[in-house]
Amino acid sequence: MIRAFLAGARIQLQFLRAYPDALIPFFTAPMFSVIFLMIFRHAGRTDLTAYAAIAPVFIALWWLALFNSGWTITIERWNGTLEMLVAAPSSFAAVILGRITATTMVGIVSFGETWLVARLLFGTRITIYHTWGFLATALVTLAAMAGTAVAMSSLFVLARNAVTFSNSASYPFYVLGGILVPVSVLPHWIRPVSSVVFLSWSADLLRAALRPGPMHHFAFRLGMVALLGACGLVVGVWTMRVILVRVRGSGELGTT
Amino acid sequence: MRGLVSTARVSWYAIVSGANDYWSIFTLKSWIFGWCVRMISQVSFFALIGKLLRSDEQTQFFLIGNAVMIAVMGALFAMNMTTSERGNGTLSLMLASPSRPVVVFASRGIYVMADGVFSSLLGLAILGPAFGLHFPFPRVLLVIPLTALVGFSAYSFSTFLAGVIIRRREMTGLIVNATIVTLMALCGVNVPVSFYPSWLAWISRCLPITNGLEAIRGVVGDVSWSTVGAHAGVEIVVAGAWLLLALGTFGRFIRAGQRDGSLEYAS
Repeated sequence: MIRAFLAGARIQLQFLRAYPDALIPFFTAPMFSVIFLMIFRHAGRTDLTAYAAIAPVFIALWWLALFNSGWTITIERWNGTLEMLVAAPSSFAAVILGRITATTMVGIVSFGETWLVARLLFGTRITIYHTWGFLATALVTLAAMAGTAVAMSSLFVLARNAVTFSNSASYPFYVLGGILVPVSVLPHWIRPVSSVVFLSWSADLLRAALRPGPMHHFAFRLGMVALLGACGLVVGVWTMRVILVRVRGSGELGTT
Repeated sequence: MRGLVSTARVSWYAIVSGANDYWSIFTLKSWIFGWCVRMISQVSFFALIGKLLRSDEQTQFFLIGNAVMIAVMGALFAMNMTTSERGNGTLSLMLASPSRPVVVFASRGIYVMADGVFSSLLGLAILGPAFGLHFPFPRVLLVIPLTALVGFSAYSFSTFLAGVIIRRREMTGLIVNATIVTLMALCGVNVPVSFYPSWLAWISRCLPITNGLEAIRGVVGDVSWSTVGAHAGVEIVVAGAWLLLALGTFGRFIRAGQRDGSLEYAS
């Protein structure tokens, strides 16, 4: 199981090196950082620097989940390698999870990039006031992102409009997830929807970790990130099983 | 005259072919619930920053800038044409034909630009009132041709870049996305041009969008006609310059690719 997971991670890192499109978020994240920092500096609100430091990271991670991880199974199918992967004795889910986890972990680079841009171009130092809170939130956020990506990769196989969805599901989730503008600023009617998007909990927590005040209800909020991420993972693994049972039964593995 | 008619015919077929491609990607349902929702969310995402800053003036600034940015994105998405020609296996046929490749490339993506301009205006019409933006009627009607001008200007820039990257088509996605955020940062979309250092402001003025966007802000903000006209005039010059550059260099990039074998004909 572990070997299959690591093999999946290894092959994914090779794919990322081979395809320039995989690098898109690492070009766009620093530019978004520049845009947000310019906005807050122009408005004279340097107290909002933490917001500008966090949002581009979420943009990069979400992009990787949508366009890289989300398409993992579908691309295996298009390449004609899905049959071999399913027929192999190692766990199909472990390989896919390994690939998705590798992609998500690579997203950590965007933290460094974004904060380096803030330092070099704007002379702004990002201070982490709650180191353990920050690290725990970042770790659980990455796990939740991977769980959500597993759900996407399974659902994209079944959905006829997966391309349209992945092209369209960026900004709606940036708004709902409050990655830059907190959910408290959104209209009241939309807030219940935001509360089931794990991004909204983790963005709030990460911003709180960059502020000197206490992090209220830390355990509960972190638990919500973990819970929503786990829900994604459960949906993903269950859908993956349904797909495999269905295509094995119908003999349509390569054509579904 | 005969050459002109022939070019117009090639251009027309390319537009029709592009439009057919487009409607095979989108149905009306997926356009509304996919693209339209994304566009509304994107403009709202930035306009909400104004709410965070508790400034109506900033909200309107972000709203107009990012609504116009949708037209620019549409124009830049047209760069993907180079990749799709290769994917469809039609690049070799096109290059072997007697018509100029730039005419086909520049025409095939027009529908994407037109869709971007329409989406941009739709976003402004829907979100303007929602965020309390007042449209001075009838002068606000001038926003329509000005947005089309910005779209055309970005499209000329996009056609030039399509020539530059035609030999490196595996990088199209990267270039398209990087260009979108770079223009978003440099063209006065989210901060006024006066915020930039003077050298950067000069670069910004030579890029598409900047001057046209200022003209649009001027129309909505009741600025004098002469100022609006001056900004629009500069945008026309910038658009023309990028178009000439695209027409003048596209063939060279293709011939260079054919000479050194870097122009692949299939995915």
